Amino acid sequence: MPLMGTLRATWHLFVVSLLRLVRSRQTAVSLLLLAFAALAVIAWSIRRERTPAQFTEEIFLTLYTSLLVPIFCLCYGTVGVASDREEQTLVYLLVSPLPRPFVYLAKTAAAFVPSLAWTLGSLALLCWLGGAAGRKVWPVVWPASLFASLAFVSLFSVFSVLFRRATVLALTYALFLEALVGNLPGIAKRMAISFYMRCLVFDSAEQFQLSLRGLFQPEVFLPIPGSTAQNVLLIASASLLLFGLVVFCLREYASA
Amino acid sequence: MTSPPPLCEFRSVCKWYGPVIGLNDVSLRIDAGITGLVGHNGAGKSTLIKLLTGQLRPSLGSVRIRGHRAWSSAAKRHIGYCPDLDAMYEEMSGRAFVEALARLHGYSRREARERTDCQLARVGMADRATRPLRTYSKGMRQRIKLAQALVHDPDLVVLDEPLNGVDPVGRTELLQLFRGLADQGKAVLVSSHILDEMDTLADQIVFVCRGRLIASGSLAEIRAMLDRFPLKIRVTAPDARRLAHALLPLELVRSVELASPDELVLEVERATEFFPHFNSIVARDGFDPERLEVLDASTEAVFEYLMRTVTHPW
Repeated sequence: MPLMGTLRATWHLFVVSLLRLVRSRQTAVSLLLLAFAALAVIAWSIRRERTPAQFTEEIFLTLYTSLLVPIFCLCYGTVGVASDREEQTLVYLLVSPLPRPFVYLAKTAAAFVPSLAWTLGSLALLCWLGGAAGRKVWPVVWPASLFASLAFVSLFSVFSVLFRRATVLALTYALFLEALVGNLPGIAKRMAISFYMRCLVFDSAEQFQLSLRGLFQPEVFLPIPGSTAQNVLLIASASLLLFGLVVFCLREYASA
Repeated sequence: MTSPPPLCEFRSVCKWYGPVIGLNDVSLRIDAGITGLVGHNGAGKSTLIKLLTGQLRPSLGSVRIRGHRAWSSAAKRHIGYCPDLDAMYEEMSGRAFVEALARLHGYSRREARERTDCQLARVGMADRATRPLRTYSKGMRQRIKLAQALVHDPDLVVLDEPLNGVDPVGRTELLQLFRGLADQGKAVLVSSHILDEMDTLADQIVFVCRGRLIASGSLAEIRAMLDRFPLKIRVTAPDARRLAHALLPLELVRSVELASPDELVLEVERATEFFPHFNSIVARDGFDPERLEVLDASTEAVFEYLMRTVTHPW
């Protein structure tokens, strides 16, 4: 296929995949989750005047980082190739002349769009609902959300290439492994994406004078500089994207 | 001047799934015309098709389409595949589905639309293509799958159980369509468990069993190779008893059964040698046979004999 045709086909696959994702039940699940989160933030904010530090600690680090970001990302990241495998429609992509790297890139790019829209959009909504405190936090924390979302979607896209039941596995990973590893003492937590997201926030939200307690105490948490955390997330995203692409290109799907 | 590479060629292809062998040392060429692919479940038909359509890579050997490895994008431009799986993008209409897959071939929106319209008309779905796929009957879904396989005008069309769920009228239409494709110089590989249709449809048949290619060629050629199994011929003639008497001395005639006063069933060896003898006896003694029917040269019968040969070689 000439290059122009390949690019046209890739763009078309991206659009079709994006539309299918947006119209999928994942959107309903995300909407429901966001509604609950929004109610929680409204309840939290109407009791009394809150500070940006409180919003960061009690909403951003607890609710948003631990739950919303991984769930939004896995909702769309895991369905890229895996849903086609589950629905047995992957065969149409595998027998098309569109080279496999382009198939993977189109599917993953399509997953990035709604994932980022949901993570950043929900953060904006929660910050707005959080009142003055939330609105002060938004410009400080959104880059952390963006970089962590990129890493999560890249990781879950690898899941979708490797496993047929990618969503179940990713859910297990996000809610148990990520939470477990991310809270381990010492440097073992550096395996978790949420660790780098928190490091970025600790660094950029220093101005709010966060009163970090428990597992988040600097002596226990052992944070790394924000710029390093950002680089790690970017490199991890690129590496995972490349890894997923290579696996998808080499893998034989006997029951596609 | 070098000749163009063959349309499709398997060279000593083996495919393992871990310790299980899916296809064992298969060498095969598929050229223009209709080729039937016949075998029991688990015989290796699906593996052969997946290798051919570039979904799998051979463990050993090579599968080439017009000289390109079947796994490559260059090869896939030449192949149209109609899978046996009944899976499609259910939320789409038939037209949108075919057009979406046409666009994966790199066509512009306008060209994809024109090609889609053309193929929908060809498979008889032009007037019903705007409905969502989930509302289609099995036969309509088969036609849509066929349309998407033809949308880029491939040289090789691979059809996996293409007549499943299609009503008798539709079946006749689709068989005519397959014949039309073959007449245009395209290669059509049809995998089907409906062996009756292979008799009239296929120009050559590939029989697979336990991962091996056990025979390939025209039905008549393969039947002629099965010497071990005498050919059964029903002869309808007014004076059947006298004809039986005249044929019995022939060494090639193994048995003669007088089914009715004007009907004989013969069992003959080496059919190609028998028929000239038969003709000369008929001409010499003035018989007037009304009908000559070979009873066990159908795909089903040949397949059964081949299976017996494979399972009981002696």
